[in-house]
This record gives sequence, C-alpha cells and structure tokens, in this order.
Amino acid sequence: MPVSTKPPTRVLPALALAAFACVWLLDLGVVQPNRIVSGTGYGLYAATGWFGAVVVSFLLAVVIVLATRLTPKRFGALILLLTTALMAQPLLLEVFALRKLPEDSAYARIGIGAGFWCLAFFLALMLLETLGRYKASRRLQFSVVLLVVVSWWFCASREGLSSLSLIREYANRADQFSQALTTHLSLSLGAVAISAVLAFGLALAMVRRERLRRPLLGLVSFMQTIPSLALFGLLIAPLGALSAAYPFLQTLGIRGIGWAPAMLALIAYSLLPMVRNTYVALMEVPEPVVDAGRGMGMNERQIFFKVKLPLALPVIIEGVRITTIQAIGLTAVAALIGAGGFGTFIFQGLGQAAMDLVLLGALPTVFLALAADAILSALKFQRAPR
Amino acid sequence: MQMRSWITPVAWVALLCALAALLPTMAPLFSWVEPGTDNLVYTRDSFWFLLQSHIWLVLVSATIGSLVAVSAGIFVTRPAGRDFLPLVSQIASIGQTVPPVAVLALAVPVMGFGEKPTFLALVLYGLLPILRNTLAGLGGINPTVLESAKGMGMSSAQVLFKVELPLAGRVILAGIRTSVTINIATAAIGSTIGARTLGDPVIAGLVNGNTAYVLQGAILIGLLALATDSLFEAIERAWGRAFSI
Repeated sequence: MPVSTKPPTRVLPALALAAFACVWLLDLGVVQPNRIVSGTGYGLYAATGWFGAVVVSFLLAVVIVLATRLTPKRFGALILLLTTALMAQPLLLEVFALRKLPEDSAYARIGIGAGFWCLAFFLALMLLETLGRYKASRRLQFSVVLLVVVSWWFCASREGLSSLSLIREYANRADQFSQALTTHLSLSLGAVAISAVLAFGLALAMVRRERLRRPLLGLVSFMQTIPSLALFGLLIAPLGALSAAYPFLQTLGIRGIGWAPAMLALIAYSLLPMVRNTYVALMEVPEPVVDAGRGMGMNERQIFFKVKLPLALPVIIEGVRITTIQAIGLTAVAALIGAGGFGTFIFQGLGQAAMDLVLLGALPTVFLALAADAILSALKFQRAPR
Repeated sequence: MQMRSWITPVAWVALLCALAALLPTMAPLFSWVEPGTDNLVYTRDSFWFLLQSHIWLVLVSATIGSLVAVSAGIFVTRPAGRDFLPLVSQIASIGQTVPPVAVLALAVPVMGFGEKPTFLALVLYGLLPILRNTLAGLGGINPTVLESAKGMGMSSAQVLFKVELPLAGRVILAGIRTSVTINIATAAIGSTIGARTLGDPVIAGLVNGNTAYVLQGAILIGLLALATDSLFEAIERAWGRAFSI
C-alpha cells in the first residue's frame, strides 16, 4: 500500500447513505396549483423518472466505493464528482418541471421538496469533508464554492426553472428585491462601520486607562445580553418622543420605527465583539516586539501604526467578522420595526402563509452571512503573520 | 461569603416576577407613552402565562440541545468516532454563521406554524455553541493529565466522568450560557410564527401601533435575559469553586 493512502473513513459512506435515504424517502419536489395551496409532493422516481433516479443513486454509490480507499487520485475524482453533482443538481428540478407541471394552468408552479434540500445539504457536507481531508488550498475551496454558486445562478435564470415558485416570487418583486438588498447591506454594513470606529476609540481608551476596562466591557456586554426584539422595542418610545418633540428629525427619517432604531440597536450589538477583540489584540502584542521597535528609534506613533496595529489586525478582523455576521442576521429581525431589508419578505411571507416568499427572504440572508464569513475569513488569513 | 454571588440573580428574578405580576396594575404609567387609547395593558394572555411558556420553551430546548451536543462532542473525541471530528467541528462553526431568525423562518415550511417549528429551531441552533464549546473544552485538556489518569488505573469511562468532563465543564457551561442567551431572543421572535412567548405583546404592539404593548413585552424579555445571564454567572462561579484547579 502506498504511504500516501489514508485509512478508510466512515464519514463519506455515512453521509452518502444518509443522502440516499433522504432522497428516496422524502419528496423531491411539489406541484402547487397556486401560490398558497401546499400541493402534491413527488418522490425522486416519480419526479424525474428512472433516469434521474438511476443517476442520483449511482452517484452516491460511486462516492461510497471511492471512499473505501482514499488515494490522492481518488481524492481528485471525489472532489470533481461532488462539485459537478452539486452544480448540476438544479437540473433535477428542471426535469421535474418538464415532466409534471400541468401546461394548461397559468398559476401552477413547482416547489422545492425536502428531499432536494437534503441532497444538496449532504452533497455539500461530503464536499466539505473531502476538501478538509485532502487539505485543499484556500484557492481550491474558493473556486469550488464559486463554481457551485455561479452554476446555481445560471440554472435559476434559465427558462426551464421559470415555473419554480421561488423564482416566480422573485419575478413578481424584482424591484423590491434589489431594494431590500440595498437596505439590508447598507443597514448592516453601516452599523458595522460606525461601531468599528466607536469600538476602536473605546478600545484605545481602555488601553490607556486601565480603570475604564471593567465598566466599559460591562456596559457593552450588558447590551449584548438584551434580546434583539426587546432592544428594538425599547428604542421605539424614546425615539418616537424625540421625533415628536423635534419635527426636523422627522424630515431626516428619524422616527420611532424605521431605520433609526434599527441602526442604533445594530450599533449597540456590534460593540461587544468589536471592542473586546480590538482591546485584546492591542494588549497582546508581545512586549519584546514593541521594545525592538523602540530600539530602532521609532516614536510612539510609529510603534502604534507600524508595529502594534499590523500585529493586532487579524484579531481585529475576526471581531469585524463576528460583528458583520451578527448584524446581517439582526437586520432581518429589524424588518419587524419597519427597517426594510430581506426580513420584510420573511415576515410578509409568514403573514400570508406563502412559504416561498419566506424562502425569498431567508435564503439571501443566509447567503449574505455565509459570504461575509468567507470574505472576512480569507482577509484574516491573508493578514495573519507568517 | 459564597452566598453573595447568588444575590444578583435572585434580585433580577424577583424583579422579573414582580413586574410580570404587577404590570397590569401600572396602566396609568403607560398612558404616558400611549395617551390616545384605553388599551394600555396587553390582556390577550397574562404576562405570567407568557413568561412561563417562554421559559418552558427555552428550558426544554436547552436541555435537549445540551444532551445531544455534549454526547455528540464526547462521541467524536473517542477513538470510535474520531473520524467524524473534523466534519462535526466544521458544522458547528459554519452553522453558527446562519442567522437564528433564518433558521426560525426555514422551520416553518418543514413543520407549519406554532410551537413546534420554534422548538425545532431552538434545539437545532442551540446545539451549535454547546457543541463547539464541548469540543474546545475536551480538546483543551492537557494530554499529560489524561495519561496520568490512565496510569492511575482509571478505566476510560472513569477518565471521562472524573477527569475530562469536570475539567471541560466550565467551557461547556459557557457554551450553554451562549446558547440560552441566543434562544431567549429567538423564542421571542418565535411569536411571529405562532409560539406563545413574551414576544407576543411586542408583535401585537407593532402590528397595532401600540407602544405600550411593545414596551411591556420588551421590558419583560430584557429582564428575563438579564436574570438568566446572571444566574449562569453565579453557576459558573460555583462550578469554578467546586472543581478549582
């Protein structure tokens, strides 16, 4: 046996079996007569015929066989196979739409079933596991994710999936969607930017004056403890009173509900991870390094900008990463107080019991959070001292 | 001396209970924020009932979540399950990237409206911080400690229950604290999908434009979170004293 062969792993076969069970037991897709009615579900065989059923089952079997003895070549084959499978998965829905969608009904649409989501989930987990075991480079990981995202995007824009209810919901409110995207991003990123500046100042103050540390950290972690719905609610009355007392604030759009309380709450929540990480990062710069800078004749200002800050940067970026992910999620909740963003679709959809409208809000929110995570993690690794 | 760390949580809990009982009598106070109406106090359900239902939802999901997460964490750190460790720890960290409100919303197509989807979301999302901390706690134990425990003739079960879990306990407890804090907030949002929690007055107030309702719900939710958090702080201290190293 060659040295590079890894011992067999039970993880991939376990995941493949789970995917197999889900895809055969759960509905792959649903045909709905209109937007609200839940419709009839179709399993893998009923939805895509013997061809789709054979392709999917064969694919999972190949994964199990390949995973029994993992040589480097087989790793490559697995990554290629799983990436292709994930990229091509929307085609299953296209075949389903072609076979089962009644042609004479204008309102009929197809919905995505639990089996489809489970298959995507387990394929993604298998890909994650394979990339991890193969110790794939960040570039390879990034390319794989990009390929899958672009492929799904391409499939979604094809004619074949235009009867998908998620896409119908999108087509009905394409303008609102891009507006929600802008609002969501500007609220969450704006709050992150403002709180980054504030937190940097607070952390510097804590570094300079040790006795500020306990009260400041206590205050920001106190705010983090208050649940989002409560904080949004508590801000309505004071902001409402403020804008009633000073009408010029209303012309700026500052009212009890809307973006103003949302922004304030988002900033308050963003402070804790940001302040804590910036403070810890600045405090943990090793003293000998600072001394070396001093020895080279740097003044305090140069030491701060050329020694301390670059060394602290990865930990500060980690704070920004946590904050951004959190802010993207909380902005969705802020739709409850009329701040806009993707949360609007979620709560509208819940109100109308239109599940695909809920998806239209929830999926982009998840996607934004994952994208922010990927980008900021990459930035952190790039900045990490080698 | 040791009783002192319990004073703060007891005070918060007392304040929470007092307000939950007395808010209905404070109507004149709320006429200040909502002058135009007679509906000054949320009456569809009593605050007591909502508080109990909120706590019950969080408590049950936290118990199930902790049991599942700690057992999963133990399984993947034993020789039999070590294969799964890299994947499970990646799931724990990537999963926490998904916003809790999205998990809540996505639970509805699966389970319909009501307590059930809220419960599912709380259990699933609450698992992740506990799982991550269990892995960190068990993984952070100095290997020489485990070696010497084995050297003393302890069986692997004894090592787990007498050495590993007490040593990792504080980190695991911190994970449970994070999980419960998140879940109190998520359960409040669960009102939008039909769970009966303290979020109800807030949502009703937002829908009807009644700031008094919003305030009543928000104050109680905030107090519940603060009381729980200080309770955990006291427990963590007590744990630290009991197993101080």
